[in-house]
Parts: sequence; C-alpha cells; structure tokens
Amino acid sequence: MTWWIPLRSLVRNRRRTALSIAIVALGTAISFFVYGFLEDSRLQIQASTVSQFGNLQIASTDLWEDTAEGYEYLISPELEAQVRTLMDTRGSLTGITEQLQFPGLVAAGDETQVVRITAQVPENETLTSDGFVFEGRPLQSTDVAAVVMGRSLAERLNVGVGDVVTLTLTTVDGAYNASPLQIVGIYKFSSEQVELQTLFMPLTFAQLLLNTTGVDRLIVNLSSIAATGREVVAIQQQIDQAGLSLEARPWYDLSPIYQQLSGYFDILFGFLTLAVFILVFFIILQVLTLAFLERTREIGTIRALGTTRGEVFRQLIAESGWLAVLGSLTGILIGALLGLGFNAIGLEWQPPGTVEASVLSMQINGMTMLPPFLVGVVATLLSAIFPSIQTSRLRVVDALRVE
Amino acid sequence: MNEGSQFCHERGEPFLEAVGLGKTYTVGGSMVYALRDVDFTAAQGDFIVINGPSGSGKTTFLNLISAIDRPSHGEVRIQGVSTSELSERQLAGLRKEKIGLIFQTFNLIPVLSAAENVEYPLLLQRLPKPERTARVEAMLEEVGLQDMARRRPNELSGGQRQRVAVARALITRPKLVLADEPTANLDSETGGQVMQLMQRLNQEHCVVFIVVTHDPAVTPYAQRKIRIHDGKLTEGVAA
Repeated sequence: MTWWIPLRSLVRNRRRTALSIAIVALGTAISFFVYGFLEDSRLQIQASTVSQFGNLQIASTDLWEDTAEGYEYLISPELEAQVRTLMDTRGSLTGITEQLQFPGLVAAGDETQVVRITAQVPENETLTSDGFVFEGRPLQSTDVAAVVMGRSLAERLNVGVGDVVTLTLTTVDGAYNASPLQIVGIYKFSSEQVELQTLFMPLTFAQLLLNTTGVDRLIVNLSSIAATGREVVAIQQQIDQAGLSLEARPWYDLSPIYQQLSGYFDILFGFLTLAVFILVFFIILQVLTLAFLERTREIGTIRALGTTRGEVFRQLIAESGWLAVLGSLTGILIGALLGLGFNAIGLEWQPPGTVEASVLSMQINGMTMLPPFLVGVVATLLSAIFPSIQTSRLRVVDALRVE
Repeated sequence: MNEGSQFCHERGEPFLEAVGLGKTYTVGGSMVYALRDVDFTAAQGDFIVINGPSGSGKTTFLNLISAIDRPSHGEVRIQGVSTSELSERQLAGLRKEKIGLIFQTFNLIPVLSAAENVEYPLLLQRLPKPERTARVEAMLEEVGLQDMARRRPNELSGGQRQRVAVARALITRPKLVLADEPTANLDSETGGQVMQLMQRLNQEHCVVFIVVTHDPAVTPYAQRKIRIHDGKLTEGVAA
C-alpha cells in the first residue's frame, strides 16, 4: 500500500519497538563481530599461506600426486623457458621464480633432524624467506654452501649463525651425497613445525648437490589473492593448449591446513549464526504475536474498510521488514563500533602449534557486514510470517468485537 | 428535522435487499437465533434508522448487510448481487467500493492523522496522490475539520473523531453508509451535530444511510424507521 503506514505503526508502542530493534541489533552485532573476527583470521592465514606458497605453483602432475619414482617430475630448463614465455601474456602476474624441494638429513654434533630443503633463487622478489629472517641475514646471490635455518631447529641442534651443519641427501641418480653448510641466518615462522623441518638454501648449490639442472616447481605471484582462482584456470588452459605436461595449483589447494581452518571457521560461524537466528526468531515471534494481538480491533477495522487479507499480511510483513532493517543496521553499527574498539586495543594471541603471537582484530567492511545483516533481516522476517498470517486471517466480525 | 424536504429526492432502484435473512449461533450445544427471516429493502437516498434494545440483533443485521459476516440462511443482495456468492476478496472489494462504515467507537487508526485516516480508503483504491489530497481536503471541509487535518485521533474530541469517521466512510463516494451506534459515545449535543451532518450528506449525495441505534434521540432523523426485536424487523412510521 504505502511504505509509511507500516513505519508509522512501529512508533505506536515505542518500548516494544525499541525492544525488538535491540534484540535484532544484539543478534546482528554478535554475528557481525564474530564473523568479522573469523574473516580477519582467515585473511591473515590467507596472506601467510600465500607468502609461503605463492599465489599458484606450476609442477608436474606426478609431483602433485606423488606418483613419480625418484626425480622424474623435475622441470627441465627448456620446459621452464616455455612456461615463462606463456606467463609473459598474463597481466596480473607480478613475479615468477623456481624452487626445488627435497628431503635430507641435517646433523650438528650428535643431533640429527630429518628436514625438507627448499632451494630458491636468492634475492628474488617473488617468493623468499627473507622477511622471516630475524638473526643473521637472508640468502644472497653470492652464497654457495649456505643455509637459513628455522629458530626451533637451531635450538634443537644447539647451533647459531656462523655455525656449520652437515646435510646428507640422495642425488637424482640415487647416489648419496653430503655437504657442510654454513648457517647464515635464522628465521622464525608462525608454525613450529615449519621452523623444525624447513631449511632454505641457494637453488644453484642445491642443484649441484642433487646433480640436476631441473627444478620441481615454478612459483607464480599475482597482483591480488582474489585473482588466484581465475588465473589458475586461465594459465592451465594456456599450458594445455601448449601441450605441456604440467598442472597449475592455487595456494588454497596446496595448503591443507588453510582448507581445514577455513572449513572450521565456516562451521563456527554457521553454528553461531544458527544460534543467533533461533534466538532472534523466537523472541521476535513472541513480541510480534503480542503486538499484532493488541491490534486485533484495528485489523478488523481496516478489513471492514475493504483491506484484503493479502494487503493486511503485506502491511504486517512490511512493518516487520522495517523492524528487521532498522534492527540489523543498528546491529551492524554497534558491531562496527565494537570492532573498532577491539582493533584499537590490539590484543595478541598465540595459536596452538605456533611460535608467534598474532594480533587479534576484526574485519570491518561491506563483505563482512552483509552476512550478519542478512541473518538479522531473514530471522526477523521469518518470525513475522506466522503471526502475520494468523492476524490477516482473523474474521472481521470477531476482530471488531475485541475491546 | 424529519421533514421530507430534508432527504434525498432521487429515489432509485432498490440498492440493498435482504431476503429471508437469518443468523444463528450455537451456544452450549443449543442454537440461538440472532436474526430470523428478515426481509428488507433499501433504495437510493433512503435514510433509515433501525432501533432496538441491546441484544435485539441490530449489530448482527448490520454485519450481514455490510458484508463483513455471512448469513446462516437467506441472502443479502447489493445491486442485485448476492454476497453469499462472493469470495473473501470480492467481499473486501465490495466494502471498499460501495460501502462506508461508521463505528460506535470511531475505530480510527491511532497512528494516522485525521487526514490520513480519511485518506486510507482511497489508498486502498490506489488513487493517485493529487486526487487523494484534493478529495480529503474537500471532505474534511465538508465535515468542518479542515483545521484538524494533522491531528491524531487522541488529539480530537469524541465528536471530532466521529466526524473523521463519517468523512472516512464517505470519502470513496459509497452508495451505502452503515452506522453502528454513531452517537453512543457522544454527548447529546455532539450526537445531534453528527446526525445532522449525516442527514445533510444523505441529502446532498443521495447515499443510502442505515443507522443502527438504541438512542431514541436519533429516531427523529429517520426517513424510514425500523424496529428490531428478538431478531425480527418491523417497519415503523415513515418520516
């Protein structure tokens, strides 16, 4: 009918309307706060994962599926050159580098540790461990038998910058090889597991030790994390068209931990949303049922004047719609203010299995506001359906008799 | 007051007919007749007062002829169409287009101003805003409330509220206006003013007015006087 009659009806009982708005707002604010916090955690993990893996990696399917025997999956310099030519056409690409990972055994004195060596091009701008080095220095182009070691491993081996450790490995031909490596830097990372098991060394020296000229993967960085999925598809099409036996995989497929955490966050938010939804639904149902009951005579009057059941239903739903929108907007506002306060405090938390505390914060933007806003609106509107149907179906004569 | 010249002279075809109309309720397992075998006709321009004591069936009769309730037997015909054959939606349409209702307790919508209450039936008819505004202003002037247009019902006196209700009933230019105890909540002077207003509107617009009341002060305004007792109608002395 009109937008203002339902809105005007809301102000008739200000206390009840305020209570309804407060309930919807509280539910929305809680939902927004938790969702914003989880999304911030998710983004931090995304950034951390991308810094570890790049936006995407290109390698042989045998490497991804772990179906190769030995080092058959290595990418030759010729194949790498072909891929780099293809990548030149990608506008969103910001960098590409090679990497070679292989297992080894590192020893210092009586202590030994099984490790996974990540050999990379020193001083490349695409993906390095440089930012994590907190003691000593990162790898340099002039380095040969040098290594950057994790803090936890250094503590376990009781070694530091300048010390020498011995690396034992198997070459691509299956022969044993060993080499002394000088520790030039110590890095720290959010995961203790990574610190214990991952060593970084120059690619050319690693190829020398393994007796190969190949690499096992090409790491590609893009201008944005969000572009990853789209670029993976496009790059894979180019690779397939060129007839190369390689496969591009996005960072989120390369990190099972991210997928698990992301799934966990979804479940957490899902449960919370459900709880908020149920809470808002039943309280608003009760409030609206009472509010509509009090207006029985008025409903009878407008029905007697010629308002159809459908029009009454739509008017009541419109009232609830206003309530839903006002309540949810208020909730978003409260949640945003809470979030700003929370972000300003800068609370730190050290997740289990990590060595670095991270700052707890909340994402406040349109993308994190929308789902809680919709939860508030939908819960309120759904709770209004039953009392609205019931009220609109009242017999006119009965409704007019109510005092 | 009850001279013939004060009523509409354009007497037309029967607008409203009730044939063998009855309404029964089941109370405690036994059937109670609220209205039985009523035959009734109202033509264009009639000003009819139906008088009777409490519980005589006045409101039941009004509910049936205003199409807000369905008869147990018999039928109501409005311009030849039986209300029993109409769906809920069609009955709502009939009330919206052809019937104006005035209630004992005014039944104004409390959150709307006097003008908005009068405008409400026009909103149902989906008339454009300029036409609604013009008609509401004219109608409020006609009932002498042009200065009260923005007031809410709780800011109006009983007489003013009932005049708003009269304006609301007439704003759609209905053929039939039904008033249920329109003076019951008013003092005698205000009640008289409201009745004079209704009589004038009947005269000017040739609308059928059926006023149900047990207030003897209303009877002198009648062109046709009908007595209702124990659910039966008896035509009285014509005005």
